[in-house]
Amino acid sequence: MRFYFITFRSVTLAQRGERTIRRGGVSCNLQRTPRWMEERGCGYCLRLRPQDAARAVELLRADGIQFSKVFAVNEAGEAEALPL
Amino acid sequence: MIYLDNGATSYPKPAPVRHAVLDAMLRCANPGRGGYGAAMEAARRVYDCREAASQLFDCDPEQVVLTSNCTHGLNIAIRTLVKPGSRVVVSGFEHNAVTRPLYALGAKITVAGHRLFDQENTLEEFEAALRAGAKAAIFTHVSNVFGYILPVEELGRLCKKYAVPFVVDAAQSAGAMDISLRQLGADFIAMPGHKGLLGPQGTGLLLCAGVPEPLLYGGTGSDSVRQDMPQQLPERAEAGTVNVPGIAGLTAGLRYVHSMGAKAIGLREQKQARAAAQGLKSLGIRVFSGAHQAGTVSFLPAMDCEELAQRLAQRGIAVRAGLHCAPLAHKSAGTLGTGTVRISFGHRCDGSQTQRFLREMAALS
Repeated sequence: MRFYFITFRSVTLAQRGERTIRRGGVSCNLQRTPRWMEERGCGYCLRLRPQDAARAVELLRADGIQFSKVFAVNEAGEAEALPL
Repeated sequence: MIYLDNGATSYPKPAPVRHAVLDAMLRCANPGRGGYGAAMEAARRVYDCREAASQLFDCDPEQVVLTSNCTHGLNIAIRTLVKPGSRVVVSGFEHNAVTRPLYALGAKITVAGHRLFDQENTLEEFEAALRAGAKAAIFTHVSNVFGYILPVEELGRLCKKYAVPFVVDAAQSAGAMDISLRQLGADFIAMPGHKGLLGPQGTGLLLCAGVPEPLLYGGTGSDSVRQDMPQQLPERAEAGTVNVPGIAGLTAGLRYVHSMGAKAIGLREQKQARAAAQGLKSLGIRVFSGAHQAGTVSFLPAMDCEELAQRLAQRGIAVRAGLHCAPLAHKSAGTLGTGTVRISFGHRCDGSQTQRFLREMAALS
């Protein structure tokens, strides 16, 4: 995998998630959600390295931060929504 | 100028607040819309404000809705909880920011607690009113006219006992008293950003324990396919572009208050209020003072209130006279016909300001 995306329903939740993950010692980048990932329209997501994704999800859950989906994107650019 | 009108707005704003406003105007585009640097920077500054507020008021960042002022927040809260014909309990010291929206909705208003500085009376009358059944209760934390500190924790417990949702108007207490959304258990707490929180005019906060009904409908930068407003906080209550420079200034104000300590600021203001009340009484002036009083004092001079305020202004003393947008409070205190002159202290008050004010009052008496 090249990277993972965690999507959120609002920029505020994505920002809270970003700070929670970073405070947990994991790096991530806040960005606009690619349109194909967000069926409801515009949104924000966090982009992570593959080795950081599981820890990031743990940190979000520990802080009670709701996220929408987790996507894995491979070297060919193909994406897969992962079961939560 | 000796500025004693902090109940209206804090003035002048601290330097970090002014710098934050200007910096945001230089560096920030539209928050929560774009993905480029200036848009993300704007979003970061907006979130900084939610985070600073959540730390000061013991809640989650997404529970902090950014408003234009306290009135805006109160309107959101009231329109969420109160429907036409609903019975609502309010204190006898409410501002028009509470009573006018209730009148506009056609609510049946029960006023509980008319006696100034008498927390027992407030609690007794609230309990009787809540026991009779109500759709909501709304009460100020501190009277903007008289500085009377209402027993909001006990009132909150009464509301819980009778399962009545409640809203606290923290217009005069935010930044001068410790406030916890979690501990108070309020459904909503509304406050201005530009008074005790030292932010720019045109800013405010609504702390939300639950999800409010939108007051405005429009773009939020999220869930754009849907034609109803997003369900989640804070976007549900924040249609349209928010006031990024103002919010950046408010963040600086929140941090300033946090560093000084809200309670410490409040005690400093109360000390000067007591000194001023004592000094005015010694001049033979009728002063409204008592236990449970914040840094605000009203008094009734021998001459017309507005005339005295004008004369003080000519001597470099800024006070406010009249009804202070709170006719209900004046009705409760028996001053509806005359109004009062109000002095309200701020975070930088000291004894020299109070003494200068008293000297000018002595000269005019």
